[in-house]
Amino acid sequence: MKPALYLILLAAALTQAALAQDEGDFPALPRARYRSGQQVLNAFALISAQTRNSIVEVNVNEDTVALGAVVDANGLVLTKASELKSGKLTCWLATGKEVEAQLLAFDDEDDVALVRVKAKGLKPIQWATNQIVEGQWAITPGLAETPQAVGIISTLPHRIRPQRAYIGVVFRDDNTAKPTVRMLMPGFGAEEAGVKPGDIVLAVDGATVTNRAQVIEILKEFRDGQTVQMRFQREEQEFNASIKLTAPKPGQRYDNYADERENRLSGDVSLRSEGFEQAIEHDTVLEPWQCGGPLVNLDGKAIGLNIARASRVATYALPASLAREILAKLKSKAEHPPSDD
Amino acid sequence: MSVLQLPRAKLARWLLSVALSASACLADAPSPAPSFVRPEAPRPARVNPRDLPVAFSKPAPASLADLRAIQQRVAALISQVSPAVVAVELTNDDGTASGSGVVISSDGMVLTAGHVGDRAGRHVTFTFPDGKTANGKTIGVNDDADTGLMRITDPGPWPHVGVGELKDAHLGDWALALGHPGGFDAKRSLVVRLGRIIRLMPGVVQTDCTIFPGDSGGPLFDMYGRVIGIHTAIASSADENFHVSITEFLDTWNDLIGPERPPAYCGLSVVDDAEGCRLNKIAKNSPASKTDLREGDQVLTVDGRRINVSATFDRWMAESEPGETLQLEIKRGDHVFTVPIKLQSQPPGTK
Repeated sequence: MKPALYLILLAAALTQAALAQDEGDFPALPRARYRSGQQVLNAFALISAQTRNSIVEVNVNEDTVALGAVVDANGLVLTKASELKSGKLTCWLATGKEVEAQLLAFDDEDDVALVRVKAKGLKPIQWATNQIVEGQWAITPGLAETPQAVGIISTLPHRIRPQRAYIGVVFRDDNTAKPTVRMLMPGFGAEEAGVKPGDIVLAVDGATVTNRAQVIEILKEFRDGQTVQMRFQREEQEFNASIKLTAPKPGQRYDNYADERENRLSGDVSLRSEGFEQAIEHDTVLEPWQCGGPLVNLDGKAIGLNIARASRVATYALPASLAREILAKLKSKAEHPPSDD
Repeated sequence: MSVLQLPRAKLARWLLSVALSASACLADAPSPAPSFVRPEAPRPARVNPRDLPVAFSKPAPASLADLRAIQQRVAALISQVSPAVVAVELTNDDGTASGSGVVISSDGMVLTAGHVGDRAGRHVTFTFPDGKTANGKTIGVNDDADTGLMRITDPGPWPHVGVGELKDAHLGDWALALGHPGGFDAKRSLVVRLGRIIRLMPGVVQTDCTIFPGDSGGPLFDMYGRVIGIHTAIASSADENFHVSITEFLDTWNDLIGPERPPAYCGLSVVDDAEGCRLNKIAKNSPASKTDLREGDQVLTVDGRRINVSATFDRWMAESEPGETLQLEIKRGDHVFTVPIKLQSQPPGTK
């Protein structure tokens, strides 16, 4: 008997009836007929035929870490930057060949890298220009004859907030009062900047604040490693401070119950899965390494670039228009590398 | 494969972590005359399988044409059913709970999961995909089946969808899951997911639609746009999830709405005048006669909600239950004060 173990959403106690049932007693749809099962994927074979020469598998030291989208015939490829750890970069092509690759430039803001692969005659991906609609097929092709997986567009493009990073201040627990520092978390930016318990926050990033919630709302927009300008009052004196925000490391105090639980429900998610200017959310279940390549429609045209496996229900793709903007930026960056390095 | 089984106490805390920040905006328009009617169980909408493109009856789509047919139907269904899908937030003894739900009648009956709902009479805020909010309350839950019923008490009509049935459902039928994974997010709005029925069990439908905390109580639709399930639980695999079947709601409907009871009675009748809602009669030997309310007093709020017209007061009374205590904020001359009034069952012979 296969043990039926259920996870329960929110504060659920799963139905006694369902617990008493062994799901194995009931006929099941063969996996091949699931939404992303092989029989269904077979219907997408023409899309794969049309796109597989526009896709590469990106390897670091022989481990496949991402897919990539070919953007010109001379081997320029877009992929997911944060998966490219240091090591020997190569790419698998649909022809079965493994070729050398070189990182040209990357965009930290949206986690995109521009790579050149040593291959000629590649077929650039075609970008879709028509509007995306909720419910349309979202296809993630790979090098194989059928796609990696398929899903639908779950929501129209929207901004994805960065992962929470902290200045390391615990405020007094009164939302109606002025935001007053109660204590400082050791090792975080506020302590380093000389903030002391009792200090009152007057402004954050140029905006005047009058309560704790406002401070937190503004700080939520900052990412790990960024610096925020804050103005404080200490007794009769006012002063400015530049404070660095830090994302908590696993096991550090800010790592709260909910985050941990949600991550465990979601299985493997991308290392960098938050903080994108705009992302299409789709319901395709991908492994983190299957991100970085194009997300295409039924015409085989790219509606986006898969950028992160984000949760149990969501994979993010940068919309085609944004991906093309980033491509233009990265190309010029690659041609004119910044001189101050 | 990592599997978690969560003890109930911890789950309750987790529930709080999906707290929403929706703020209630109060509708206070004149409404039709109130009447407390026991909501009847909805009847499954009749459909004809021949209305569906042939792609839906195949074991798997076989061509791009099939895929296009599915895509077209799914996109159309989403715009058809989305307006009736709500985020729900209610306050209970443990704090704030949230999830999803679906409106199934123009007067605002809402299906949700039992673990999102609560016993009768809790205040609920509903948020529609366009961001509009409405007030309502819980009607009842069935913990065993994980079914829950709520009602919007603000005056309708509300966008709603029909319910379906599972008698003629088959493994492999396509289904659409809607809801608010992670809680309502104004920037993101409703999240739609497609899948197929992978198992049919008594009272439970299993699909490969992906769902997540916050989706609880959200609807599963068939390809006719009828509600056939309500999201209840997830398995360890992302593409194997559970929905309470609509049949479970319909079969246990009378348990859900609770025993028949007389309407609540306070012994007050109210009229409209230029100032708003005014008490014009207090019945003898009624709950109201035991308070220091006087005829001619103006009612400003009931339980903190502004009363601009008498119909709102009447509706509030019709939706209240015997035994509940309401706080009436009263204006008499320049004097404003609050009077608690404990409701009774309607005595025989009164109306």
